[in-house]
Amino acid sequence: MLTDPVFLAQLAANGVAVGLGYALAALGLALVFGILGQVNFAHGELYMLAAFVLLWATQRLGLPYGAAAALTVALMAGAGAALAQAVIIPNLDRGFESVILGTLAVAVILQNAVRLAFGATPLDIAAPLEGVTVDVGGVLLFGQRLAVCAAFVAAYTGLAAFLRFTAAGRAMRAMSQSRDACVMVGIDVRRVTRWTGALGAALAGLAGVVIAPLFDLYPNMGTEVVFKSFAVVIIGGMGNLAGSAFAGLALGLAESFAGGLGSAVLRDGIAFTVMIAMLLVRPQGLFGRSVRV
Amino acid sequence: MSRTRAIAVVAALALALPPVLGSPYVLHIAIMTGFYVILAQSLNLVLGYGGLLSLATPAFFGVGAYAAAILALRFGWDGAATLGLAALAGVATGIAIGFPSLRVSRHSFVIVTLSATLLLQLVANNWEDLTRGSLGLANIPAPRLFGLTVEGRTGWYLLSLAAAGAVVLVTHRVVGSRFGRAIVATRENEQLALAAGIDVFRTRLFAFSLSGAFAGLAGALYAYFITYIDPGVFGFSVSEALLIMVILGGSGTLWGPVAGAVVFTALPELLRIAPEVRSLLYGIILLLIVLYRPAGLATWLGRHRTAAAAPSA
Repeated sequence: MLTDPVFLAQLAANGVAVGLGYALAALGLALVFGILGQVNFAHGELYMLAAFVLLWATQRLGLPYGAAAALTVALMAGAGAALAQAVIIPNLDRGFESVILGTLAVAVILQNAVRLAFGATPLDIAAPLEGVTVDVGGVLLFGQRLAVCAAFVAAYTGLAAFLRFTAAGRAMRAMSQSRDACVMVGIDVRRVTRWTGALGAALAGLAGVVIAPLFDLYPNMGTEVVFKSFAVVIIGGMGNLAGSAFAGLALGLAESFAGGLGSAVLRDGIAFTVMIAMLLVRPQGLFGRSVRV
Repeated sequence: MSRTRAIAVVAALALALPPVLGSPYVLHIAIMTGFYVILAQSLNLVLGYGGLLSLATPAFFGVGAYAAAILALRFGWDGAATLGLAALAGVATGIAIGFPSLRVSRHSFVIVTLSATLLLQLVANNWEDLTRGSLGLANIPAPRLFGLTVEGRTGWYLLSLAAAGAVVLVTHRVVGSRFGRAIVATRENEQLALAAGIDVFRTRLFAFSLSGAFAGLAGALYAYFITYIDPGVFGFSVSEALLIMVILGGSGTLWGPVAGAVVFTALPELLRIAPEVRSLLYGIILLLIVLYRPAGLATWLGRHRTAAAAPSA
């Protein structure tokens, strides 16, 4: 059983699917850190909020899944711009602890507001691909998991193209190199910050709308996501987008094999253990430019 | 002299509370206030004096609570030895979390302290042989201290008051000592502290483990007092309340966090606010402090900034 090639291939397929989900969930966090040098502690709650907005759009507005998902991502981009305007911009010159405390406060507010609005009972969203499975030589691929993989590939290539080829993307990359130099050549630092916040939240929203149908919805659901995303971002090298994508994929594979061949506790502990090991051995992460202090 | 007198007045008032306001409900709040004073001082040591934003206090608290509960239920231990071991478990946790996290950037420090707390909650949920998972540990017996069984609200109140007083005293002694000045020096200017021959890493690790001892002790007292614990003891809501108590009370001062703990434990209880609403309000308060009263953060951020800006001035 343990050496059965089909079983191992199934573990690998599951691992890739889960790992690309981690990579997708961490992408917005890595972007905000990479461009602004700020840690967004509300990232997990943005993911959670997106799942609940999706629930509202499908059930209350009666929109089909695709339209509801697009609406959710657009709304999340707006929320991200608002978060950047309200919390990050006033604190740009005040040291990173202010932004951490501010986004932590926003996380707490969102979590409890959603708890008051929707209650703490787990809820469920239906997605069209949820029941679909594809059998490839005995290895089962699940429809919604494939949707997550597709969303990651689209988001990653889209983000890379945006950063490379558009004026706003170039301004964001300039900001990641030096904020002072941006000011000197006339780049509107506040605008770039709003752009980054909007993109980061839209990415959290995209992760929420494709991943959340796989699980129950509850107000604390962002906590586990942000925990994994932190691990992915630290392992990959903080602010390094390709590094976090690779780290997410590797973490998914490691967890899948640990869970399949070992135990569930072993699986859940991997993210943290590898993160600590990485901090001890290579604090700048696998692919780090060194972490800015 | 007047300061000594003020402390004496506060102590006398605190001791007079049970006979005067002896309702069980008020005493219950007073007992919990004592635990929060200890926790606030635990965070204050790291955040206020050390200038490090730590989210690990619930980790120490939870480890202390589980250590006491397991020792009492599994091994029939009780009393001073259990409380001491719970504090030691807090120290061990502090070293285990501090060793990797204090070596890296202060960004990563915040992330690692939060992640460690979440991991411990995961362990408490999943290691069912030891912790009974989400069912929690119930019927924790009353502790015996120096031959006396601690029972009744008055007994618990005196123990809580004594423990909180001891923690404040220890903090006072440590902060006034050579080590305490070293901790403050690492907050004010890390480079200068290094140049002055202070071992920054070891100094911070010491502050972090002492913070672990305080919160571990609070956890053990809490477990004994409530007689039931579950993985919720590692919850983030504790960190949130503590941040408000310490920052609004005055971080980096001895009595500020004590006052913060008293006000922010008693107030929501007396106003009978539901837990969700309380958390929501705490979040809003925290956000408002960060946005509009950054001076409220000044005791640590401000001093830090002036120190950092000094060379260019």
